[in-house]
Amino acid sequence: MMNTFQFDTALLLVALPEIFLLSSIVVILLVDLFLTKGFKQVTYYLTQFSLFITGLLAFNLIGHPETVIFSNSFVLDNMASVFKVFMMGATMVAMVYSRHYLTQHSLFRGEYFVLVLLSVLGMMVMVSGYSLLTLYLGLEILSLSLYTLIAIARERSGAIEAALKYFVLGAIASGLLLYGMSMIYGISGSLNISEISAFASDANLGSRETLIINFGLVFLVIGIAFKLGAVPFHMWVPDVYQGSPTSVTMFLSTVPKIAAVAMLVRILIDGLGAMHPYWSDLFMVLALLSIALGSVVALMQTNIKRMLAYSTISHVGFIMLGFVTGVVTGYGAATFYVLVYVFMSLAAFGIIILLNKKGFEADQISDYKGLSKHSPWFALMMLIVILSMAGVPPMLGFYSKFFILQQLVSAGFVTIAIIAVVFAVISAYYYLQIIKSMYFEDSEKEIVVSAPMDMKLILSINAILILVIGLFPDFWMKLALSLF
Amino acid sequence: MTFDQILFYVFSFWFIASSLAMIFSRNAAKAVLFLILSFFSAASIWILLEAEFLAITLILVYVGAVMVLFLFVIKMLNIDKSTLRAKFAGYLPLGLIVAAIIIAEMTLVLGGNQFGLDVVAAPARHAADYSNITVLAMQLYTTYVYPFELAAVLLLIAIIAAITLVHRNELNRKKQSISEQVNVQAKDRVRLVSINSPNKENK
Amino acid sequence: MLENYLPIMVFIFLGIAFGVGPMLIGYLLGPSKPDEEKNSQFECGFPAFDDSRMYFNIRYYLVAILFILFDLEVAFVFPWAVVQSDLGWFGFIAMSVFLFLLVVGFVFEWKKGALEWE
Repeated sequence: MMNTFQFDTALLLVALPEIFLLSSIVVILLVDLFLTKGFKQVTYYLTQFSLFITGLLAFNLIGHPETVIFSNSFVLDNMASVFKVFMMGATMVAMVYSRHYLTQHSLFRGEYFVLVLLSVLGMMVMVSGYSLLTLYLGLEILSLSLYTLIAIARERSGAIEAALKYFVLGAIASGLLLYGMSMIYGISGSLNISEISAFASDANLGSRETLIINFGLVFLVIGIAFKLGAVPFHMWVPDVYQGSPTSVTMFLSTVPKIAAVAMLVRILIDGLGAMHPYWSDLFMVLALLSIALGSVVALMQTNIKRMLAYSTISHVGFIMLGFVTGVVTGYGAATFYVLVYVFMSLAAFGIIILLNKKGFEADQISDYKGLSKHSPWFALMMLIVILSMAGVPPMLGFYSKFFILQQLVSAGFVTIAIIAVVFAVISAYYYLQIIKSMYFEDSEKEIVVSAPMDMKLILSINAILILVIGLFPDFWMKLALSLF
Repeated sequence: MTFDQILFYVFSFWFIASSLAMIFSRNAAKAVLFLILSFFSAASIWILLEAEFLAITLILVYVGAVMVLFLFVIKMLNIDKSTLRAKFAGYLPLGLIVAAIIIAEMTLVLGGNQFGLDVVAAPARHAADYSNITVLAMQLYTTYVYPFELAAVLLLIAIIAAITLVHRNELNRKKQSISEQVNVQAKDRVRLVSINSPNKENK
Repeated sequence: MLENYLPIMVFIFLGIAFGVGPMLIGYLLGPSKPDEEKNSQFECGFPAFDDSRMYFNIRYYLVAILFILFDLEVAFVFPWAVVQSDLGWFGFIAMSVFLFLLVVGFVFEWKKGALEWE
């Protein structure tokens, strides 16, 4: 058999961030093995360094003309590069916060950082995935690392329970996704996103083809909704958020959401954009249910991690509404929302971690009583984050909601926009509860902030940026729009 | 009916029968053995479809390795059968309804109307010298080289995850030190001690 | 292509016949007079001490799962071995990267002491 396969090595430069990250994962894994006890911090610094270089390499590729390599299974476009840069930045911030948590709770292990880097690699594969196969493999690389990260605190029964729930439900979701992919592959005859798109947008598509695509589409939507945590596929979210070590909760509630949105865009818009009328109805129902349930159930929570989980569910609802509009500006608004959400969620979990001490998780809302007296600066930071999450102007969170609603109204979904606003107002109540306990209640317990200087600094910048970028949101909105 | 078809029905029958037996088996170990039989029947059907590499991999990896792991897990867990069964009855009606809906939808979408022989022609049989492994390999290491390397990353994660979660750093590890074994000398092995026996005088 | 598998099928049926046949003959022709004493369990002449299900240590699980992972790796090497002369250097490098990643995993496993018994 003759080998007619051609491979252009120069095109590998397009995948340089991924190649660099994988190489540094190997190096970090091996270096960590041979480090003696006193030098474990080296792993942390190497991790930050490799994330930074990967981010630089990805930044360097912004503006690169759209290139597809590896026989149509890897795409580099602006969306991929910008998402990668954001993911690297968010992971770096998350690692700064994580270090404090890990040292406080004696979970500092080299494997933790290696697994985080591996999950980041999986997310990069997803963001650049241009065939159903690579998208799925990226998702599995991400998920397997996350399951392990949660269970890394194996002395805690809550963490094991969370890992198991996440694993079982995640495996079912992956199975559903794979089933939907097999339907799409079976009828279109291709795994490649552009070929699927060409097949689906063919004007002469028969009723048989449409039926089978729709059948697969339902499974794809369910799989994606599972991964995003939209109602009614949200059951894992509160338990996993509560049970996981807070540093892992922070990581899995932020960066993977970017990757999930990227996968959504690749499959449902780049691939099956022609089927938008079919999947947008499903999305509408899922989004409204998510916003409603997330806003109402969060009212009853006393655990702040659980409350943030329900808050995530309602944020996910807003993100999905952006995709319901079916116009490019709506997709841009949804992308903007997810980036803003990552920003806010990092800061919120950062403050929880800031207050962590050995044997004290700071995960009850009552733990925040009197924070304004003991640490007025970080109470102010928390105030900014909470107001932004509630969508109070001029914080960043207000603009993300505003853009989504604006796009909804201009696309003619006025009723849906009104319902979303009503629930956003309801959700403001539980956000205000935290502010109330921080500023208007007092506790006899002394709250000592023992976090290192770098964490305090990054956290303050993170929170202040929510306010500052909120004053000038146009640049970021334009950036998000330019990705489509 | 051709010989192929007879084989297909025989293997399908065993596939379905052993799958059902696996689900309804009360003994977890027996369920695993039935699962092996159903994998084996599935592999036979794959051979009928001329996917020989997949069939052999199914037997090698699933029957040879994954099922061994399943048996290990069954031996590790303390499964209380009565609680399992008590919950089963409660979920049964809902489960049956969902299963019925899915079966109805699948027959509607994947049935003979959509994928019957009159809609999609059966692929031609290959000649005797056709090698499925060669064709698959020529694709796997060229066109699909990127997913192939990603598979290596997945396996690496699995190794790290298994060790991180299961391995304990215990001190009483029976470790072999080869250099010590090689360098050992007779005088280190046997120590001759002269003992003053108290009974000596009585002799 | 399927005709190549005919000997294997004949072999399987013969194997089943040889395995099941004697048991069947023994069951049909042998005398069977069970009573309560004969059917009761015993261990070395004593009544059974406890359940025959003995629980394995979790360490066996680690051995089993590492075995599966390297078993899967070998499943990827087989087809490569069939066509490696056709693939040339590209295939060689592709497989080298694949094996390198798994060797890194192996080094991790070794150095962590997962291959040692406690």
